[in-house]
Amino acid sequence: MSRPELTGHASLFYNEKEARKYDSSSRMIGVQREITERAVELLRLDDSKPSLVLDIGCGSGLSGQVLEERGHVWLGCDVSRDMLTVAKEHEEDTKVLQSTGDLMHHDMGSGLPFRPATFDACISISALQWLCYSNSAAQNPRKRLTRFFSSLYTVLKRGGRAVLQFYPETAEQAVLISETATKVGFAGGVVVDYPNSAKAKKHYLVLSFDRSLAPRRGALGTAEQDQKQQHVTVGEALGSNKGKKQPPRKKKGIKTKEWILHKKDAQRTKGKDVRPDTKYTARRRRGKF
Amino acid sequence: MRLLTHNALRNNAAAAKGKGFPLRITATEVEVKDSCPFDEHRLVFVEGLLSTLDWSALIEAASQLGIPTLPPVLTEDLAEDPEFLEALHHVLMNVHLIQGILTCPATGREFPVRDGIPNMVLEEEDCEHVRY
Repeated sequence: MSRPELTGHASLFYNEKEARKYDSSSRMIGVQREITERAVELLRLDDSKPSLVLDIGCGSGLSGQVLEERGHVWLGCDVSRDMLTVAKEHEEDTKVLQSTGDLMHHDMGSGLPFRPATFDACISISALQWLCYSNSAAQNPRKRLTRFFSSLYTVLKRGGRAVLQFYPETAEQAVLISETATKVGFAGGVVVDYPNSAKAKKHYLVLSFDRSLAPRRGALGTAEQDQKQQHVTVGEALGSNKGKKQPPRKKKGIKTKEWILHKKDAQRTKGKDVRPDTKYTARRRRGKF
Repeated sequence: MRLLTHNALRNNAAAAKGKGFPLRITATEVEVKDSCPFDEHRLVFVEGLLSTLDWSALIEAASQLGIPTLPPVLTEDLAEDPEFLEALHHVLMNVHLIQGILTCPATGREFPVRDGIPNMVLEEEDCEHVRY
C-alpha cells in the first residue's frame, strides 16, 4: 500500500497489528531514525542546554529516542492508542528506565491542548500529511490544518523552531500545508532533500518566528560592517534617484578607433602578427558607387 | 504522565474559552520511580523551566497526588539553590500518574488517564473554532 492516508483514520490504520509491525521493522526504524536526525539538525537545538520538545505523531517513540540521546526532554502525541501502547511497552521492555519522554493520546487536527509558550521546539516525523485527508463529513482538512498551525504558533516559545517532515501526495498538498503555516504567522518554508529521487525525496517544513535571517556575529564582525556600509550607500543612491527620470544612456558606437587600437594592443601582447597603427587605422572606406 | 506534562496541559475545547487550566487530578494510581536521574544537564533544564512553569498549578497538582515537598512560593533564593532544584526535578520528572481522571476546571469535562497515557482526544464539534 503506497498511501495509508487514503484508507481512513490514522488510528484505524495503525491498529495493534500494524503498530507492532511498524515497530519491529528494521527498515522502518532505520528510515525514521535517519529522518529524525536530519530534522533535529534542522531544528538547530543547543545540545548543551536541554530543551522541552513536542513530538507530534510520535508513534512508537522512534523519534523520541533520537531526542533522548541528545539529552532533550520530549512529549509525544499520537492519535493511535495502539502505537502509544507499543511506545509504552518499549520503555518498559528494554529496561531503559531512564526515559525523558512522556506520552499523550491526542489528535493534532483538533488543536494542541497546551498552555501558550510552553515548548522550546517541535518535531514531527511523517505525520503532517494525515491532516490533508478528512475521515468524516465533519472534518475539513483546511480547517484542521489551520487549527493545528495556529495552536502550534501559540504553544511554541518565541524564538523556537518547528521542523515537520511530511509526505505530500501532490505538489498542491505541499503548497496547502506551507501556505497555511505562513497564514497563521510562521516564517519559513519547505526544505526538500534528494529532490531528484522519487523514493528518497523528503519534505521538511521548517518553521520559525524570525522574518529575516540575522547575520551571524563573531570573527567576521568587520567584514559584516563593511557589508552593512555598502548596503546603506546602495539604499541612499536608490533613494536620491527616486522620482527623477534618468537620461537615456548614449549608445557607444561599436568599432571606434579606441576600440580597434585596444584590440590590436591586446593581440600584440599575445604575440600575434598585427598590422602597425597608421593614420589609416580605423578609417572608414569610401562609399561605393 | 509526568507533572511536567500536567503543567503544560490545557483543555482547548471551544466550551472552555481558554480557561481549561489547570486540570484537576483525581488519581487512583501514582508511581514514583527514578526514571530520570538528576545531573548537571538536568539542573540546566530545570533552571530553564522556572520561567515557564505555573507554580500554583504545580503545587496544587503535587498536593492532589499527595506530595507536599515543594514550598508554596517560589523565591529568587530558591531558584539558585541546587538542592531545591533537585527536589523540583524529582517532582516534575519522577512522579507518574498511571491511572486517574483529569477534570477541566471550566467545563467539568473529564479526560481519563490510562496506563500513564492521558486521553485528550476531542470530537470535531468540540474543537476551538479558528478563522481562516
